[in-house]
Amino acid sequence: MDKKSQNFEERVQYLKEKAKEVRVNIIDMIFTAHSGHPGGALSAADIMTALYFDILKIDPNNPRWPDRDRFILSKGHACPVWYSCLAMRGYFPIKELKTLRKFESILQGHPDMRKTPGIDMTTGSLGQGLSLGVGMALEGKLVKKNYHIYVILGDGEINEGQIWEAAASANKYKLDNLTAIVDKNNLQMDGFTEKIMPMDPIDKKFEAFNWQVMTINGHNMKEILIALEEVKKIKGKPVCIIANTIKGKGVSFMENIRKWHGKAPNQREYEIAIKEIQGGNDEIK
Amino acid sequence: MMKLSKADITTRQAFSERMLEYGAIDKNFVVFEADIGYSTYSYLFGEAHPERYFNMGIAESNTMAAAAGMAADGRTVIACSYGVFISLRAVEAIRTFICYPNLNVKFLSSHGGLTPAVDGVTHQATEDIAIMTTLPNMKVLAPADTESAKKIFDVAIKTPGPVFIRLMRDPLFDIYSKEDNFEIAGSKTIREGKDLTVVTYGDIVFQALEAADELKKENISIEIIDMYSIKPFDKKNLLNSISKTEALLVVEDHQKRNGLGYELSNFCLKNRPVPFDNLGLNDTFAESGNYYKIIDKYGISKKHIFYKVKELIYKKRGGK
Repeated sequence: MDKKSQNFEERVQYLKEKAKEVRVNIIDMIFTAHSGHPGGALSAADIMTALYFDILKIDPNNPRWPDRDRFILSKGHACPVWYSCLAMRGYFPIKELKTLRKFESILQGHPDMRKTPGIDMTTGSLGQGLSLGVGMALEGKLVKKNYHIYVILGDGEINEGQIWEAAASANKYKLDNLTAIVDKNNLQMDGFTEKIMPMDPIDKKFEAFNWQVMTINGHNMKEILIALEEVKKIKGKPVCIIANTIKGKGVSFMENIRKWHGKAPNQREYEIAIKEIQGGNDEIK
Repeated sequence: MMKLSKADITTRQAFSERMLEYGAIDKNFVVFEADIGYSTYSYLFGEAHPERYFNMGIAESNTMAAAAGMAADGRTVIACSYGVFISLRAVEAIRTFICYPNLNVKFLSSHGGLTPAVDGVTHQATEDIAIMTTLPNMKVLAPADTESAKKIFDVAIKTPGPVFIRLMRDPLFDIYSKEDNFEIAGSKTIREGKDLTVVTYGDIVFQALEAADELKKENISIEIIDMYSIKPFDKKNLLNSISKTEALLVVEDHQKRNGLGYELSNFCLKNRPVPFDNLGLNDTFAESGNYYKIIDKYGISKKHIFYKVKELIYKKRGGK
């Protein structure tokens, strides 16, 4: 796809269609694997689609291209959304998605940089991804390259203290080549974030660490695109985009329901889910 | 034997001085520090190469995970802290993001074993070997003096993947000369003997040498191997030695459990069972105090080596 040949509306429309495909793949993979985490994969699906089909400077034929943008899915359990984007961009055949979590698959239960083409960094243990991103951003500064590092954080994993160690160090080194995107779906494994471990106001916390903060609707493709383009213009400080999302977004019976954090749909649920995703395009207003 | 003299500097300083020298030769590696640069002596590198030195503050987990991020595309990173913090606080970042993807991060781990004796238990790294040797892909080295500390810097930086280097708080005795060479899976037989093999590393090598002198007066001849490469270890030298002496004592400034002693007893059992024992912390924490008093109280000093050697030789000769 060539961005220059398209106007903004066309890009948005294209991404919306792609996001449906990404979601179908997520449900398909988790259904086939009988295991996985649909809720957090679906909440991040629109942001990931915008990154992988518009924003990221990457080359699927050369996954380790030194000048590429880097991406880290700190909430590694949501990896079906990452695998889906990577397969659709041609890093590996779509049929590999059927092997998720299976014996000797290239698609491990959590992302593995040594097994999956296009995965820049192993993740899965929560609270570590921002530190990993800080290291990558320092590397980018050291080699004086213009690539950008994007890290998607869960709003649950920011309970981890190490996130805030990383936030402090990104400020120290003025890492304007680092962007954190908080997938704020308000649910963590055991329940609503406000009940388990309230972290609000998240924006004020990042601001206190001297980050530039933006808040968007993480399912509105226009807002996502505008924010991700804005990010690169901000100089001298790291940026945090707080993306308000819905866990399980796109499948009505999964939305905002705790138990869909880490559960595979059965045959009937699978069929309804696929139908809903393919039929609907309901952005939250 | 020739009287050994205590070095003017510590192994941590020697290692960091070599890091500084090497920084001028190899422009590619970077150094991460967690706010103890004046203790690890990494500040020397930081002053010479500020653009390649990252002080991440008192935040070891973030330091190690950021080191992983920096190493993700192949860069070599030297990450500095104390043994307790590297092996305990930051161990998950090291396991999952450095060892699992097999990244080129080398750990300058100071204050190994009981050498931070006066600091007390919080700063004594007495489980580091157990933890670090258990991590797949990790290699573990422990120099016994300043000369080997310098040489082992070169070994570590040239060895692909993660390498943990156990350095000491206090000056050790000079054992090696500039002609000595060190390598991964290498060891040094620093005293030849026929009655029993003592395997040790780091600060305890000197204790073994002192014990050997005392034992010699009683016509007991022990072979001493400095197993500076703890993982992987020198199987050939060990096997040759115990095939000759038919008795093995492993002594280490570390918990007995899951230390080098456990590893070597397992090796002997499979390959060449011989009378065996090991000295180390016996499922206990130590305490603050003078280093020599502490290692003596907790059973790792030359006196304990002396008696344990005699006991094992008695056993070997059929005594009960």
